[in-house]
Amino acid sequence: MSGRLVLAAALGAAVLAPLVAPTYQALLMLPFMAYAVALLGLNLLFGYTGLVSFGHALFLGIGAYTGAFLTSVFKVRSMEVILVAAAALGALVAAPVGALCVRYVKIYFGMLTLAFGMVFYTFVLKFYRLTGGDEGMPFLRPALLGRSLEGLSKIDYLVGPYYYYSLAVLVLATLVMWRIVRSPFGLCLKTIRDNPTKAETLGIGVARYRWYAFVISAVYAAVGGALLGPPTGNVDPTLAYWTQSGNIVFMTLLGGFASFFGPVLGAFVFIYLQDWVMSIVPFWRLIFGAILAVIVIFAPGGLAGLLTPRPAAAPRP
Amino acid sequence: MTAHVVNLVVSGVFHASILFLVSAGLQVVFGVQKIFNLACGSFYALGAYVGVSAVAWYAEAGGPPALFILPLAIAGVAAGALGVVVERGLLRFVYDRDETFQLLLTFAVVLMMEDAIRMTWGTSPRSTAGLYLTYGGVHVLGTTVPVYNLIVIGASLAIAVLIGWLLTHTAFGCIIRASADNREMAEALGVDMRRLYAKVFTLGTALGTLGGALVIPATAAMSEMGIELIVEAFAVVVIGGLGSMRGAFVGALIVGVLRSIAISVYPELEMLLIYLIVIAVLVLRPRGLFGGAPA
Amino acid sequence: MRTTRRSLLRLMGAGAAAATVRHDAAPVFAQAGGPVKIGVLTIRAGIAAPVGAAGLRSTEWWLERVNKAGGILGRPVQLIVEEESNPKDTVERYRKLILQDKVEAVLGGISTGVTLALGPVADDLGTPWLSWDGTTQKGVEETMPNPKWAFKSVDNEVEAIVAGMLTAKYFKGVKTVAGIGNDYSYGHDCWESYQAVLKKYTPDVKFVLELFPKLGVTDFTSHIVAIQQSKADLLMCSFWSGDATIIMKQAAAVGLFKTMKGVFTTAGGVHDSLKKEFTPEGLLLGYNTMYFDDPKGSPLLKQFVREYKAKYNEYPPYECDHAYFCAESYKAAVEKAARSGRQWPEKAQVVKALEGIEADSLSGRRSWREDHIQMCNFYQGVTTHKNPYDFVTIDPIEVVSTKVAMKPAGSRLFDWINSWKI
Repeated sequence: MSGRLVLAAALGAAVLAPLVAPTYQALLMLPFMAYAVALLGLNLLFGYTGLVSFGHALFLGIGAYTGAFLTSVFKVRSMEVILVAAAALGALVAAPVGALCVRYVKIYFGMLTLAFGMVFYTFVLKFYRLTGGDEGMPFLRPALLGRSLEGLSKIDYLVGPYYYYSLAVLVLATLVMWRIVRSPFGLCLKTIRDNPTKAETLGIGVARYRWYAFVISAVYAAVGGALLGPPTGNVDPTLAYWTQSGNIVFMTLLGGFASFFGPVLGAFVFIYLQDWVMSIVPFWRLIFGAILAVIVIFAPGGLAGLLTPRPAAAPRP
Repeated sequence: MTAHVVNLVVSGVFHASILFLVSAGLQVVFGVQKIFNLACGSFYALGAYVGVSAVAWYAEAGGPPALFILPLAIAGVAAGALGVVVERGLLRFVYDRDETFQLLLTFAVVLMMEDAIRMTWGTSPRSTAGLYLTYGGVHVLGTTVPVYNLIVIGASLAIAVLIGWLLTHTAFGCIIRASADNREMAEALGVDMRRLYAKVFTLGTALGTLGGALVIPATAAMSEMGIELIVEAFAVVVIGGLGSMRGAFVGALIVGVLRSIAISVYPELEMLLIYLIVIAVLVLRPRGLFGGAPA
Repeated sequence: MRTTRRSLLRLMGAGAAAATVRHDAAPVFAQAGGPVKIGVLTIRAGIAAPVGAAGLRSTEWWLERVNKAGGILGRPVQLIVEEESNPKDTVERYRKLILQDKVEAVLGGISTGVTLALGPVADDLGTPWLSWDGTTQKGVEETMPNPKWAFKSVDNEVEAIVAGMLTAKYFKGVKTVAGIGNDYSYGHDCWESYQAVLKKYTPDVKFVLELFPKLGVTDFTSHIVAIQQSKADLLMCSFWSGDATIIMKQAAAVGLFKTMKGVFTTAGGVHDSLKKEFTPEGLLLGYNTMYFDDPKGSPLLKQFVREYKAKYNEYPPYECDHAYFCAESYKAAVEKAARSGRQWPEKAQVVKALEGIEADSLSGRRSWREDHIQMCNFYQGVTTHKNPYDFVTIDPIEVVSTKVAMKPAGSRLFDWINSWKI
């Protein structure tokens, strides 16, 4: 199976990257892995359930701010505690938000999520005494598996233990998501995506399943957001702005929402492409806009769609 | 007290006028093409920049300052021509796709326009100097109201009436309404959708660019002004109901006047209040006040 | 599948073990002879893009002069420019400059959110970083109390403090004050320090209204209604970008400043857009740390203003001087550190030399205080139409040194203001 070979090679490369790649390139893997976790969740909603959230930056923000609050206000430095708290808080917020959002589909769903995202963004910016407003909050170096690792320089910490920690979280998140989409639950979601009426007649509680998918995707996004914090060391409201939500949907589409690993690939390409384009031209937004347009028009299956030999049967989310 | 009420209402309605033009552009496109155009804010910004250039050129050519509104309005409408380019060059390829792809394509336009504007006009804020004050102010009930604000309000109202007339009293309007209700049926009856979509999208774009051009004397063109505005326009159409012209009108008034009141009464709430109303509307009445299409 | 997973975990264990013996972190020494690479961070998009442009332009102007005169210690200087955007991306660009481009120093940094994130990163990477701006109180007092490698510009609140002192001097008898600023740390900090200072001079002054519109708002008609309604004697405004121009224009349209005094702490940042048609005389206007039209200005300033105007058709704002001084003081520090030998000094020696150094900048002599804060002069004054331009300038010009208006090293802002004896 060539798919497995590719996967094993990619994983091997990810494991070896900090040892062989230049430090800076290895550092870029950190936001990639954080986004990849969030995108796996986003795609459960997008690719598997057919709902496009334009407000998922809300949950990235919740994850990142959870870490910032825990490390700098409550002096909790354990990354495991942070991740669990981020996941729990993500689920806690997603439960009511999702319950309201999943009553609608398509553009209405997108707009409702966007509205909730903007409420969160405005809140974070406005309640500056609590959240630090535009200045954000420091996300202090978390301890990994109970080891504080304060002896290492920040770069050694990031491309060393933190790198492998992120990778482990990503692998774990991937395995869990793989299980989810292959489970009867995942099949139900796909049925709902393809034909909600049929799903309903089959006895699937459409709204309930969409809600499950929403909450799971929020948990993934919150975990991804928490992972995003330590490399920057500071968490700020731009993480939760609507253009950020747009960017993560962009990444998903770039990689291909119809494929399980597509969004992960999308995050990878987005981050390294952005790094490269930013280094050569100041007008990188123009180029990225053009890339997005080309993908939407000519390759709706994204990079994964181009790479797989199967004929693209005009996939619809 | 009356002076304060007059001020509150005029400033709120002024803000609403601009919001109306941009959201009307959003509505007409959504009504017919079912595309939620995120780039409407970028078109608004483009109109503003083109307006500044047109007025500068007009002043250099020695045109009488009192008539600056003419080149401004012409430039605003002319900038709407970009709509044809975007529609023919990009959007027409994705009409048979899911709404999500159309939304993302307009997001791509947002990204491209931001840099395109920067490459053309630079990063410094652009303004039309003191033209705003050309028409002076009128005294109403103990307060001064800038005449230009009244002109913008009047222009916006006139456009609202014009669109209403266009939709209800012309063949073109009839076709628009028919296509909005039932595309297949309209097509079967011989409506050329290709041309209709190009026209409608251009109309929507021109409303946005005209809004940008009209407002520019009162403010300054700044990078990212479009990205900021899209969120407010979004609130307007959600409150009013997607695709409804009447919704855009009422929604703009609600957002404009409420914002004005919030700033005077409890400024902390300014934007948060708008979002809370949006969510309340989406939860309680997702079609908005005047929306027709079921969610 | 199961075997793959297990072998995978084993691989990861091996990787983690190997990570502890990484070998590519050895310090990189500059090669003598080749060009000196200096990183520059500048904002290219959004509200602060003009500020970024001003900083970059004057750095390029500096570069041209330095290279024409033989570079630094005989080595030509090369700038590597990266974009300052949100904190996350900017931290990444910063690391790229140091780890990949191997620059000797980084100049730039404007928005507070970004500079707060960069501070610890700079200290960690061990390369001097000279920030153009972005030094609000939280940054100075909490996040970076003792930076080793970061140099942090001048306290952002100084212009509000100076404005408070000058309000007491020029607008005696003011009883009620309204304030408007952008809804972020700079706007809030300016308003708080302005209030604290003004209260020192006139204890019975009342602050009747505070408005904090979001950064990027372009319509203030409703805010002006609230200001009119407050019936304050004076409006304090800390806008610094296009919004300053907009509020000035919209205020003029309703004749706000016919009945109210106005203090614009920072609008000098967009001074050439404040046209006479809508900007009245008699307002207090702050130009931050450089006044382009200073009659006592140095020949260097006059040459810079002339060439800037010729090239960009604009008159330079203050950020030019922050940026110029950062570059110039770096050069002076390298030369000072190398004085003993002709060898290029190590980064730590440059930092040592930077502490307390003085250099000629556009607005005159500036220096770095021992705690890595810029010492310079602030320029504010009363607006006048008596000038050859189509925009306002100031007369008289008040020059206030940071020795007077900036809190001393180690003290806390409001404790310091409250300790004043007036």
